[in-house]
Amino acid sequence: MYRFWKQFCTVKQMSIRLQHIKDHILAANQCAEMSSPPYSPLTTHVLNTGRGIPAASMVISLHLRNHTAASWTLLRTGATNDDGRCPGLITREAFVPGVYKMRFETGRYWEALGETCFYPYVEIVFTITDAAQKFHVPLLLSRFSYSTYRGS
Amino acid sequence: MTTSKTGSLLTTHVLNTADGVPGARMALSLHRLDPQMALWNLVSKGTTDEDGQCSDLISRDEFTAGMYKLRFETRQYWESLCQSSFYPYIEIVFTITDLDQTFHLPLLLSRYSYSTYKGI
Repeated sequence: MYRFWKQFCTVKQMSIRLQHIKDHILAANQCAEMSSPPYSPLTTHVLNTGRGIPAASMVISLHLRNHTAASWTLLRTGATNDDGRCPGLITREAFVPGVYKMRFETGRYWEALGETCFYPYVEIVFTITDAAQKFHVPLLLSRFSYSTYRGS
Repeated sequence: MTTSKTGSLLTTHVLNTADGVPGARMALSLHRLDPQMALWNLVSKGTTDEDGQCSDLISRDEFTAGMYKLRFETRQYWESLCQSSFYPYIEIVFTITDLDQTFHLPLLLSRYSYSTYKGI
């Protein structure tokens, strides 16, 4: 009887352990699905260099130059996430050669932090000739300076 | 760190960081926002000198509190060097609240990057 009970407990322990492993795998898959950002050939990353943190919750917008009308067409408005990024800016299909503008609402961002900023907004205008490439246009920002570069 | 020339209220200094030289002969312009009309009014035009500097962009009388924009014609500049640039132009928009200060807005530039800061 004791031997039977010992075997039963071992099988039950193994069963419980297997269920724990299954639960971990399921949770990992769910996290992977939830955290997969929509693909965009154009990305940005805003960093608050004044505080050494990602610039979260900054409103940004993407525009495409309309050459015939000499105006800008708004393509997308969004806000940076906790990591300072804004996934899904534009789809591969919509990303065509042209002149784009990315506008960052920097004044509002610093105001939300209880501070002023020398730059009420930052607009980065850039030319895309080869839309098959990936383009990363980050903004490194403090209250009195900023920089950007073309990454990939 | 570059600083403004003595006596000028608003100055700029363009540096070509890719070639390690001043950004000479770059066309630029200064604009002030008319908040009521929501329009940019041209204040002055200029060109950087051999040292990449441009001063006397605005007189004391014209210098009022408000929102300004410095526009740099970067595509023309790189084309004159037979090169292309990721940025067809660069506009730096800034707010002036304290008229007792002098403002120095440099532009450190390559074909694929740029930076700016508020100096004195």
